[in-house]
Amino acid sequence: MTRPGDILLSVKDISLRFGGVRALTDVSFDIHEGEIFAIIGPNGAGKSSMLNCINGFYHPQEGTITFKGEERRQMRPHEAAAQGISRTFQNIALFKGMTTLENVMTGRMLKMKASFVEQAFYMLRGRQEEIAHREKVEEVIDFLEIQAIRKTPVGRLPYGLQKRVELARALAAEPQLLLLDEPMAGMNVEEKEDMCRFVLSTNHELGTTIALIEHDMGVVMDLSDRVVVLDYGKKLAEGTPGEVRGNQDVIDAYLGVSHD
Amino acid sequence: MLYREAGQFKTSYSADQAMLTIPLDRWFVFALTAFAVIGVPLLASEYLMVSILVPVLILSIAALGLNILTGYCGQLSLGTGAFMAAGAYLAYKIATNITWLPIWVVIPLAGLCAAAIGIAFGLPSLRIKGFYLAVATLAAQFFLLWLFVKVPWFVNDSISGVPPAPPRSVFGFQVTGAAAGNEAKYLFVLAFVIALAWIARNLARSRIGRSWMAIRDMDIAAELVGIRPLPTKLSAFAISSFYCGVAGALWALCYINSVEPTAFDINRSFQVLFMVIVGGLGSVLGSFLGAAFIFLLPIFLNSAPGWIGYSVASDTITHIEFMLFGVLIIFFLIVEPHGLARLWQIAKEKLRLWPFPY
Repeated sequence: MTRPGDILLSVKDISLRFGGVRALTDVSFDIHEGEIFAIIGPNGAGKSSMLNCINGFYHPQEGTITFKGEERRQMRPHEAAAQGISRTFQNIALFKGMTTLENVMTGRMLKMKASFVEQAFYMLRGRQEEIAHREKVEEVIDFLEIQAIRKTPVGRLPYGLQKRVELARALAAEPQLLLLDEPMAGMNVEEKEDMCRFVLSTNHELGTTIALIEHDMGVVMDLSDRVVVLDYGKKLAEGTPGEVRGNQDVIDAYLGVSHD
Repeated sequence: MLYREAGQFKTSYSADQAMLTIPLDRWFVFALTAFAVIGVPLLASEYLMVSILVPVLILSIAALGLNILTGYCGQLSLGTGAFMAAGAYLAYKIATNITWLPIWVVIPLAGLCAAAIGIAFGLPSLRIKGFYLAVATLAAQFFLLWLFVKVPWFVNDSISGVPPAPPRSVFGFQVTGAAAGNEAKYLFVLAFVIALAWIARNLARSRIGRSWMAIRDMDIAAELVGIRPLPTKLSAFAISSFYCGVAGALWALCYINSVEPTAFDINRSFQVLFMVIVGGLGSVLGSFLGAAFIFLLPIFLNSAPGWIGYSVASDTITHIEFMLFGVLIIFFLIVEPHGLARLWQIAKEKLRLWPFPY
């Protein structure tokens, strides 16, 4: 499963503070091309903050993030999207008033180039693009098996399907790096198995590099090629699932240490 | 409609993305448009055309404009009247100063000026949302009207301050001013309505419409898929103000035949907002239904007692009108925020299965 490629994203000595709260302290790791990389840790360890830094929502005070060999410090989320990073959220962030199809179509936003006039008259590129991108979107819809809910407003869908639509929207952008923030949270076993299947086939068939946050250790150990463990904003360990599982610091962080 | 949708299959994405996917729907809309263009001028009375259809159609344009901003992009605005006034005053200014310019160019040009003003007043929308933004647009409402009344340049230093609409013709038929023919006026307004409704529908189903709705539904996620908030919100402000500007210009030049500030006061802003709420937020059809409903209800209330041989004092009717509007707005806000357009959709869904419950 492990296919060690070039370094796609490199995080170096990232520190993030909110006033006096140190959310992240000197965290460094690399994500290689084509791998599934998991970020784990107890609640409040700074996992989501880390994703938010990579994705441009937060701007770390110190440290650098290098994506595809280009270093950057300050970046807006839409610029990250333009570079090929897309993500899903812990608490679903779909456009509730729009249908599944429209939601997934928004994922193609940056690839559409029709001018205002072409869109207003639904002619030339305005029309061609809608149809060409619809075909791409239908591929994603087939891939994630959500054909039946194409025209349903997402607000009416059950939780598990909403999560899947959100993944579809992220995939529609054909990202190089996909960030998944707790993709299996709140799901039953069957839904989790489905979601694992989709994450794995995204990685295998589309070759997308995936960084995911997940609390279900079974899922993390089965899916990921490498794992980084955060606790109180610091990196505890990094390595293959097997290495991390045997690490004494990690066991202490999760189970607690007796102070006698 | 009296036909079945079952078995009407689509075999291409292009067919599935058509504006009206069901052939009978398409024929119905074509027939309705043809009737509005050919049938109405032949059959309708002068009163129906000039006093009812023309204002309803013009207000539909304004409602479409506000619906783009509030219904699609989620930015609440109370400045509709001001943007209509901008269209009206600038159409007058352009028409009287560049007299060789055809009137069908002057009105969109006035719309563009209104759009520029709309962009300026839309700038705060990046920082403030909801009710606070509504208050900011309220500033536009009062400032712009004050400006148009205070600066005589806008009305060519007219002494009364309320200049009559300049008479202008299209294809030799006079369409603006008091002396214009009813049919010519009606068809001139209708041409704008058809074009602008079609454009609104196209925008709503294209990338720009989806980016508006994305900003409306969740702005953080919108930014994530690559939508830049400021240009998207400003484009909604610009296009909305363009529609309102065109509506204002038509209102002044084709309906009331003079350029006066009272036609575009805060009451107009609220009237259009009610149309959008009652008709349906985020729906092109709703803009038309809302405009017709809000404009026709007082007329209906005034004449209904007469039809059943009962006379009611006109001030009583005005009071009833106020109460009824209040009740209706609250009813729609609570029961059906998507308005008449949604009710129509629900009725269609029920009829599809009727007489079975599911």
